[in-house]
Amino acid sequence: MSNVVLEKVSRKFGEFAAVNEIDLRVAEGEFVTLLGPSGCGKTTTLRMVAGLEQNTSGRISLGNEVVSDAASGVFVPSERRRLGMVFQSYAIWPHMTVFENVAYPLRVRRRPLAEIRDLVSRSLRLVEMEGFSERPAPALSGGQQQRVAIARALVFEPKVLLLDEPLSNLDAKLRLQMGDEFRAIQRRLGMTTLYVTHDQSEAMALSDRVVVMDWGRIQQVGAPEDIYRYPANRTVAGFFGNPNLLDASVEACARLEGGRVQLDVVGHGWQGRCEAATEVQPGQTVTVMVRPEDIRIAPAGTDKDGLRWSGRIAHTIFRGPTRSIVVEIEDGRLNVDAPAFGGYSVGDNVTVVVPRHAAWAVG
Amino acid sequence: MALSADDRIADIVTARSRLPHVRRFLNGAPASRVVGLTLLALVLAFLSVYPLSMLLYGSLHSTPPGVAGVFTLDGYRDIASQQNLLTLLNTVGIALAKTIPSLILAVLLAWILARTDTPFRGTLEVLVTLPFFIPPILTAMAWGMLGNPQVGLLNQLYQWITGSTASPINVYSYGGVVWHMMQYSVPFLFLLIVDAFRAMDPSLEEAARMCGATRLRTFYTVTLQLMLPALTGAAILSFIRGIENFESPLFFGSPAGIHVITTDIYDSINQRSPPQYQYATAISFVIMALMFLIILMQWRILRGRSFQTVTGKGYSPAVMKLGRWRWATFAFCALFFAVTVVLPVSQLLIGSFFKFFGFYEWEMLTLEHYQAVAGSSEFWRAFGNTMLLGLVGATLTMLLGGIVAYVSVRTKWRGRRLIDAMAWLPWMMPGIVLGVGFLWGFALLPHAIPIYGTIWALLLAYISLGTPLSVRVMSSAYGQLSYDLEECSRVHGAGWLQTMWRIMIALVWPSFAVGWVLIFFGIMRELSASVLLYSVGSEVLSVVLLKLWANGSAEQVSVIGLIMMAMVIVFRWVQLRVIKRWIGAL
Repeated sequence: MSNVVLEKVSRKFGEFAAVNEIDLRVAEGEFVTLLGPSGCGKTTTLRMVAGLEQNTSGRISLGNEVVSDAASGVFVPSERRRLGMVFQSYAIWPHMTVFENVAYPLRVRRRPLAEIRDLVSRSLRLVEMEGFSERPAPALSGGQQQRVAIARALVFEPKVLLLDEPLSNLDAKLRLQMGDEFRAIQRRLGMTTLYVTHDQSEAMALSDRVVVMDWGRIQQVGAPEDIYRYPANRTVAGFFGNPNLLDASVEACARLEGGRVQLDVVGHGWQGRCEAATEVQPGQTVTVMVRPEDIRIAPAGTDKDGLRWSGRIAHTIFRGPTRSIVVEIEDGRLNVDAPAFGGYSVGDNVTVVVPRHAAWAVG
Repeated sequence: MALSADDRIADIVTARSRLPHVRRFLNGAPASRVVGLTLLALVLAFLSVYPLSMLLYGSLHSTPPGVAGVFTLDGYRDIASQQNLLTLLNTVGIALAKTIPSLILAVLLAWILARTDTPFRGTLEVLVTLPFFIPPILTAMAWGMLGNPQVGLLNQLYQWITGSTASPINVYSYGGVVWHMMQYSVPFLFLLIVDAFRAMDPSLEEAARMCGATRLRTFYTVTLQLMLPALTGAAILSFIRGIENFESPLFFGSPAGIHVITTDIYDSINQRSPPQYQYATAISFVIMALMFLIILMQWRILRGRSFQTVTGKGYSPAVMKLGRWRWATFAFCALFFAVTVVLPVSQLLIGSFFKFFGFYEWEMLTLEHYQAVAGSSEFWRAFGNTMLLGLVGATLTMLLGGIVAYVSVRTKWRGRRLIDAMAWLPWMMPGIVLGVGFLWGFALLPHAIPIYGTIWALLLAYISLGTPLSVRVMSSAYGQLSYDLEECSRVHGAGWLQTMWRIMIALVWPSFAVGWVLIFFGIMRELSASVLLYSVGSEVLSVVLLKLWANGSAEQVSVIGLIMMAMVIVFRWVQLRVIKRWIGAL
């Protein structure tokens, strides 16, 4: 079973813990993304899996083999872990041609030449670079270098594919395209993949599961939809998109079907119902997350099972598919995504509503 | 089985924890690495720490190496004299006097060749840097003939033109020493600063112009300020070279009674009977202390700001249009080349074809000097020695430099700072000082290690002298490679050795080749250490030249000088053509 298991893995530099006791299991064929701001420990985690850095405590296993165990002093060096990796800089060796770059993992393993030719051309075909094999590596564009780096990482069918911010050096359009291609190739080969990024939209678009990290710890693990909708805490909530976060105190709490709970909350000049993951004692304060795209500007007087505020439109920004509207309410400002041509103008008094299931309270 | 393995691990763990220091040193370090690092440290210690400690030993010991004696402080007592104060002032004064005009000339040349539209800039750049690669002993001898007050060609020309009998030029003077040093230090400074001129972003200057500054004000407030770190660094290096300089004061200072520390060391060993070894080693410490002070000052001023060495990329920054003045700047560069290269080479050429130098008449034309040199077994031996030492020495020096630079730049291994420091130590020691140190060191080795008086003595001294430069060249080469290139290779299945061979060496070898040629040139022109360490059978060309010159055979000197000049030009051509093309392919 080719999977990755991290058990209580830490990486400490003196007192400072870059990675602090993280546990993670990646199943075979799964695409898991480590997401977080820079310095959150995601790259260090990836490098420990790669064997480029040694964990100071805990155990890392690839498949059924323990590759690093701080307690017993086991440490399998990178080159014996049978991994494929794409670096942020691509690390295409400039003194080799495309063919030689891709053939490298096979050459160092002393495979016969015929097999090397066959595997390299197959791998290059996979990334649609078969016509470039004799090109010197520096004569490639960024996107082409990227493809060569992927071909090289895949050529000897590694146990696990590691990707360290592979899209961050590409322009926006190419980033989308390459991301889709990654996912397609990964699905086709069923390759276990660990992907590091600080870009939340990339993480959501590509992954089976997302691991949100901050301060060297895992904040939440889950499917992209779950993390987006039901973040575990304020950090995670703030990391995806640009949500409105409002402080409120809990008045009542009731269990719903499916494990979630319903809260009656009161804020500064507003009140209503929202949902949360666990029960909260009345009187405690929570942060209610409301996403701009879930807020609707409603005609005054509509009553619904959710939250409502009334306020004044402070300004609007046209963004093409939508129009961002900032509504000034008693408690501050609300960002609302409204239809682009809804006929709103600055100074209008409006009521905005959010259905209960779209308002999520975190501790 | 499993149990015993666990027990063994437990044993090791407890054994290690008993010795915390050893454990920290060995932690994660395979035995082979520890052995390798120790070996490297021993080699470096022999090349730098050993001669240094022998200098100290010698300065406290009353007799020559290998002779029983007592420990005294007489050496240090002897150097505290009025005469030596003058020597010290001479040393510093001459170095300063040549650095300032050299810097001005070099800035001018760098600006002309990097930032103006002077015609044939590419060719001119090759030509004005050529004097850097010519062994100073050759130009010294050529200028000794050109500027000889009695029979020098320049004085003869002056007399022929003006009809007077005065000889206005005398190179055997302070002016002669400074002038000869400048021929070497202008191209040296030029090579150090030209990339700073070239790499400067023109938009920085344009921004100043847009803010309303005039051309001149822009130059002072922006261009010069940005250049300042590079200029200061280069000037200090040039000053250090001036203090270390041996050839110029030997040829032009000593005959006129002008002494500097390096020639004083040389004289006290080679010109006095019996040789004053204790005095020589004691005064060596004076020059090293001086060097140390300057290097401290350099560190304070530069604070880790580094500047480009001799390699460079083909930038094409905005150039200033000079209009008709570009021919004036062209003429300036051409004149510099003519005076520093064409003139001395012509002198060697003329001198080699006449029976006696100074008497240039038709009936004096002869080829006998060429025959004499071609038939001289001493010349051929020296030629063979120089080539052998150059090839082997440059290769070994670069290999050592490559290893040291890798350990100190690319790894986090324990002990790397010590290794780096030991490799840097000879930087503080001028060739003549290192020569004295090795003289003592080799003489005191057990007889089973017969290095003293052999060609290996020279080889070791050359490696020691070249190592700081080779480490520098290789460090900057490694510094330009991202760690990803190395790590990527490891992740994809290559071991440490395979990664070194296929990735690191494959990528840095152009720098290796550039450094190799620099070291080779350095060995070819080395005189000060060679003249102390050679013996019959292990002469090198520069030593043979010096001996012939001392015997008054200026004509044969010219012939050998021309041969060496031809070698310099061939090597420089190979360096420019072949190596540049290889680098260009990357």
